[in-house]
Parts: sequence; C-alpha cells; structure tokens
Amino acid sequence: MRACDPSRTPGRTSPLDGWRVIAQPSALDRMKVPRGAAVVRISPDDAFVICAVGPGAAAPVVKGDPFAIITPEHGFAGALLSAAEVELLALHHIEWELPARRPALAQGRIAGVPAKLDIAKDGSALLLVACAARAELEDRLA
Amino acid sequence: MSRIVYDGMPIDYEPGDSAAIAAVRNGQHPARGGTLCLAGDCGNCVAVIDGTPWMKTCQTPARPGMVVTRHPNGSHPSPDGPEHHVDVTVRYRTASHVVVGHGDSGRAAAAAARHAGHDVLVLDAADGNEVVGLFEGPALVVRTPHGVDHIHAHHVTLATGAAEVQPVCAGNMLAGIYTARAAARLRDAGVDLGRIAAVGREQVTFHGSDGRVTAVEFADGRRVECDAVVVDIGTAPRDVLARMAPGVPVEVVGAASAAHELPPCPVEGVVCPCGKITVEDLDGVWEKGFRDLELVKRASLTGVGHCQGGVCMPHLRAFVAERSGTVPAPFTARPAARQITMEEAAAGYYPDTFRRTALHAEHERLGATLDRFGGWYRPWHYGDPIAEYWAVREGVSLGDVSTLGKMIVSGPDVVEALERLYPNHVHDIKVGRSRYVINLNERGHILDDGMILRDDEHRFTLTFTSGGAGFAEMWLRDWIETWGLRVHVLDRTVSHGAINVTGPLAGELLRRAGVSDEHRPKFLQHARIHVAGVPCHAMRLSFTGEASFELHHQIDRSVELWHALMHLGEPLGIRPHGLQALFGLRCEKGHIIVGQDTELDSTPRRVNMDWAVKLDKPQFLGRDALIRTAKLPDERRLFGFVMDGPAPLEGSVIHVGGEVVGHVTSSWLSPKFGHAVVMGWQKRLPHADTVLIDDREARVSPMPFYDREGARARM
Repeated sequence: MRACDPSRTPGRTSPLDGWRVIAQPSALDRMKVPRGAAVVRISPDDAFVICAVGPGAAAPVVKGDPFAIITPEHGFAGALLSAAEVELLALHHIEWELPARRPALAQGRIAGVPAKLDIAKDGSALLLVACAARAELEDRLA
Repeated sequence: MSRIVYDGMPIDYEPGDSAAIAAVRNGQHPARGGTLCLAGDCGNCVAVIDGTPWMKTCQTPARPGMVVTRHPNGSHPSPDGPEHHVDVTVRYRTASHVVVGHGDSGRAAAAAARHAGHDVLVLDAADGNEVVGLFEGPALVVRTPHGVDHIHAHHVTLATGAAEVQPVCAGNMLAGIYTARAAARLRDAGVDLGRIAAVGREQVTFHGSDGRVTAVEFADGRRVECDAVVVDIGTAPRDVLARMAPGVPVEVVGAASAAHELPPCPVEGVVCPCGKITVEDLDGVWEKGFRDLELVKRASLTGVGHCQGGVCMPHLRAFVAERSGTVPAPFTARPAARQITMEEAAAGYYPDTFRRTALHAEHERLGATLDRFGGWYRPWHYGDPIAEYWAVREGVSLGDVSTLGKMIVSGPDVVEALERLYPNHVHDIKVGRSRYVINLNERGHILDDGMILRDDEHRFTLTFTSGGAGFAEMWLRDWIETWGLRVHVLDRTVSHGAINVTGPLAGELLRRAGVSDEHRPKFLQHARIHVAGVPCHAMRLSFTGEASFELHHQIDRSVELWHALMHLGEPLGIRPHGLQALFGLRCEKGHIIVGQDTELDSTPRRVNMDWAVKLDKPQFLGRDALIRTAKLPDERRLFGFVMDGPAPLEGSVIHVGGEVVGHVTSSWLSPKFGHAVVMGWQKRLPHADTVLIDDREARVSPMPFYDREGARARM
C-alpha cells in the first residue's frame, strides 16, 4: 500500500493511489467505496476513487453493471489547494473561467498542462494531473 | 527636483513629468525628431528605457535613476544588444462588460452598462491599464503596472476618443513640432517652448537648423521665425483597437466612431514616421499600379509600423481619395496597439506539454539523449545506437514503450463496436489472443495502427501508436455514441507503463525473472503474469522483428520492473535501446510508422496491407470507400528499396527517367546487411524496378528485408 494523500506543499503534487471505475452512471451513483475513500467523479460514467490499493485493500463495489471496468489507478498526482490558492492559480495560470457553482469539477489546461480541479463547497480544491505531466506542471507553477 | 539619465547625461524633471516631458523641459527631443503628441498615438518619442527598447517615453513616468537612451540615428536598436529580461506576470480575468477609455463617452457607456445591470470594468491608459490587443472572444490584452492582463469579456465598449492629426509636409521630422494638445500639456507642466508659430490645415514648409525647427514658411510666402511649431489640423478616430478585430462584436462610441474630416492630401514630407515613408514613396507605388489602400499599404509598408496607422491613416486615405476619387475605408490594424516587450507578448504563453514516462529519470541516469516524439520525451539513444541494434538482433534489450496508446473497452456490444470500427475480423479472436489492426477513417485512409487483445468475451484491450493515442479515446467514444452501442471505454495510456523485452534471449530473461515457459505467452498471445514480482499484462508481438514481450503494468511499478530486468539481464549482455535503433530495426522488417510512411490519403492497398482488410465483412469504417477506390488505377505504392550506403535522408526525392515519382519515407544503413534499406513512394505508373535516390541507383526489394518468414519473432 502507498500513500493516498495529495500534496499540501504549494507547487508540489504527490502520486495518488486509487481505483478507476467506469460504469453506467446509475450504477456509479450507487457505488460502494472503501471507508475513507475520496471520490472524484470525472464524468457521469467515470470515477476516480482515491484510497489504498494492494493486497488486503478493499476495492469499490459496483452493482447493476456487469461490464463495469474497475481497475487500480496510479496515473494521477494531486495537490490540495486552499480557496485562496485556487483563486491565485486561476488568476495567473488558468485562461478559462472556473465554474461559479460549488462543488464542481473543472477540467482544462492549467499553465498549459491538462489538469482537473475538484472544487469543494468552500472553494478549496483537489488539483489532479497525470503523473506523466506532473513534472511539467510543477516546473511551470514554480 | 529629481534626475534621470538621458543619453548619458543627467537631466532634471518635475513631479508628474513623463520621460518625454522631462526631455523637452531640458531642450531635447525625446527621440530625434518628429511631431510630439504626448498622447501615445505616435512613435515619435520611442527610446530605450532601462534597457527596454521601443518604449513610449510620453507614456512612461520619469522616476529617479531611470536611464533613457535614444535609438540609434537612422536605425533601430540592435537585437544583438545585452539581453534584458523582465519577469512579466500574467493575470487571467473575466468581466461582464469592459469599457476602454474613461473620457466623456466612456463614462457614459459605463454608466449605461451599470444601469443595465452589468459589472463594468473601465480600463484607461492614463490609469496605467493600456489595452494593447483585442481578439476574438472578445478578449483583451492589457498592459498594466502589475504585468499583462488577459481579460475575457462578455461585452466590450471602445471609447478611445480621437487622436490629433499630425502634419505631413517638408521638414515634418524636425524637433520642436507639437500638436495643440501636447503644447497645452507642456504649458501646464511649466515648459517654456519659446517663440511659437501656430499652424492649421494650410500647406506649409518647416525649416530648421541642427535638426530643430527654426521657421515656418506658408503657402502665401510668409515666413515666421520660431523656436517651436504648434499644429492644429483636427482629429481622427483613435481606432486602432476597433480596426484590430473586424467582426468581433464590440461597440465603438464617442469620437472613436464619429465621422472626421480628412486632412488635405499630402504633397511632401514623411507620411509614416514609424517607417520614415514619404509622399514620394507613395507616389512611386501608385505609379507602379498599386491603387487600393490595402495595396498601397503593403507595397509601401506605410501603416505596418508600431503605431499601425495611428499617424499615417488619415493622410494615406486622403492620398488615395484624391487620386481615386473614392474615400477608402481604414485598413485592419494588427496587435499590439502599443509597443510591447517580448516578455509582455509572451506572458501567459505556454509551449506544448511533453509528457514523461515513469522511467524518465532512469533514462537520464543511463545517459540517454532524450528527444520529444509523439507528445512524449523519449530516449533517442543511450550513446551507441548500433550496439543497441545488435543487442536486439543478437541478445536481449529493453525498450520503454510506455507511450503507446492503451484502452480498455467493455460492454455487451463491444464485439459489434469493434467489428464496425476495424477492417479485420474481431469476433473470432479468442480470449488470450491478439491481432494486429489498422484504423481507417470513412474514406478508407489509414489513421493509425495497433493491436486488439481479447481479455474475455466482452472485454478487450486495444493499443494505438504513441502519436495516435491522443485521438484514440475520442475516436472510439465518438463512434460508439454515434451508433448507440453499450460499450465502456477507459484510456490507460498515462496510467500503464510498458517495457518491451526484445531479442532472441528475451525468453531466457523472462525465465530468469520467474516466468516459466508454460506461462509465457506465445506469438500473438497475451497473458497476465508476474515478472520479477510485478503484475504484468504480457503481450507477444514484434515491432523489432525479434521475439518480443511487451510488459504492460501499473506505472508505480515501472522503475522496479526496469531495474529487475536490467539486473537479471546483465549476464545476457542486456542494454536498453532508443528510438534510433528501434526505427532501424522496424525498417528492416518493413513495418510502417503511420504518419511517417503513410500520407493523409494512404489506403491499405497503397502500403501493401490489403491482408489487414476483410472486405467480406458487411460493415466497417471505410469499407465503401475501399471498394470504390479499388477500381481506380493502382498508381501510388509504398515500395522497399535496397541501395549501397550511405542511407539517403528521409524525404529524399525518388527519380525515374528524370521525373520525380515520390520520396523516401524511411531509411536505414543496416548493420546486418551492410547496405541501406529504404521505404518510399512511387506515384506514377508504370512502377519501376530501379530508381534514383540521391543520384544513386536503388533497386526495388520485397519487404520485409529481414526474416521474411517471421520465424524470429515467433521464437
């Protein structure tokens, strides 16, 4: 098992462990996830469940879709940003308009790198970026 | 009183002075000559300020220690000068309604917008917020004291007012000439201009000495001795922004949109101070037949300078109007409306992202030369591409193929979807088996290639090329949704790493990594196995021509797997290979690289891959087009050639009988054969058996060049 906590260090991201679940939206709505897991709903049929993965670790359970794809996911790195940090990021590195409603998932280029912002009600957010582009993003935000 | 340094000499300035006013206060022209407007409308006061050239001194407040240097006489600042880097911060903002200019019309427009319930942002150069660009969106680029703002606005109102028309006459580039507003501003600043001659729309000649005006001669022969000339010819719309984005829905109000009287047609003098273009120059292009405003502009380069027609436009229109009898509409302006630095222009620009595999640091540690290829940083070689080649041909080697596109598809309609997408049969691929496939578009042209691997009855793994991975998910989803089929799609390209273990000793290396022969997949089979303790999806296929095992795995295990294989392979002489060796290896096998060996309209027949198409299938993308084009003459073909070394450059022209028939797409001086193996096009019938490449003879050869039976890949 590895850490599944996003970085809290400004400008740094940490690799995240979890599960990727692709299923019918209605089945995903009823998905059972391991205790303590955080779920990022990337699209109606796509979820990233952030939690421990490995021997002995529980996996998400999806009922009602026998063709669901449930697979370990190690492709994302993440960072937790305060509301003020999100505003600063948007001001200097995001050319598009963040959604006004909260919570929300925003996806687009941040500093020119494809990334996602899972924005909470209080304006704080989980920044997600593909591990393959993580170094590039960190360089650009430095 | 404070001081700035102007051309190496300290000069005094008063609070509130711009660098230009400070220069005039001290008897200097801030540049070298030309009418001063002191409103930012012309380029007659530009100089190098604190190392940054092309700065408008009239728009730059003087501050203690500022160093101003005039541009070289008769030329521009040298681009070879010392580099001057200033960090420019970009801010991305959005606004409901932006009003540019806060004069009377700007204030009225802002009030009306607020009354309509809009949040209004007013930008004015006088406040330090200078709009320098207007783009579709509408989007504004604003130079601010904090850096550069990129503002996306829902509504834009331009209330930029009117600029004073500058005089065009003999002597108009002398120092000591001011527009009426500039003179008033200097008077308010307490600057004594001495004896002033006032000039209106009449034709005049300015006389001078040592570059400064000393007298004005009027058309009636009167001569007025003076120290300065104040010119009041009228105004013209300050419309550079309005002209910058034709078609962009912005509202132009006030003097910026009002009708203005053109000045008299110029007969002598400099029309375009930015380019020092004279009336005589305009006459020259007119005589050559350029008789439209746009053509006069392009032929003479009037209006293409840094003020983008701010000064010359009224005179140029008057010039064309008098000769053609029609008043032409103003021409389009190009960003930026003001001189900006390279740092300001580049602020907010990010180059394309190039991804790094999980093994990036390993490649660096091994001394790899990394290059950007297909959206990724990839090892080009590790110092000795020929040794890497031989490691694959004779021993065992590792290649980082994590960049390949990888998809999982699952669902009750998955076979139906894949049958419609791919030109080969899918239903008969057994679980644990795989098949090479090409992807076609509706026109039957090759988009990409890869593998289909069957995981179970309703689940497949698909691979794509590294360059094709970016479009693969969109391509799959688009068609699946179009057909309304029930299939899930998951892109694993950046989540799964892949290491290709290749060479005649690849099987032996896997044995040493704990994979027994019975668990090892055979050619075109795949299996989920543990390699050196790392769970892998092992795929048997071959791009190199040798026995190959692509080990797909979760990227958090990539480094562990790579280290274990390199360690276990040491006694076998293992070494990694980069793209340079890989491209040569696959060239010997005649394997195409889509996009390099194919063209946008390459069909399977043209690249000798009819075997990958099953026209007996009732439906697949591109089928109808392939049936139709099969009846056309078989003109274009990709051929294999062999020739004595050296290998020709890829892209070299292929000649037959003195005519160009195609070009080389891939070439490699084969260490195995000792001659060059080449792939290239012949696009004319009849196809020749012998061609000329680089003026050397090349003979058509069947492909693959190496191991035609494919026995080595099956080892």
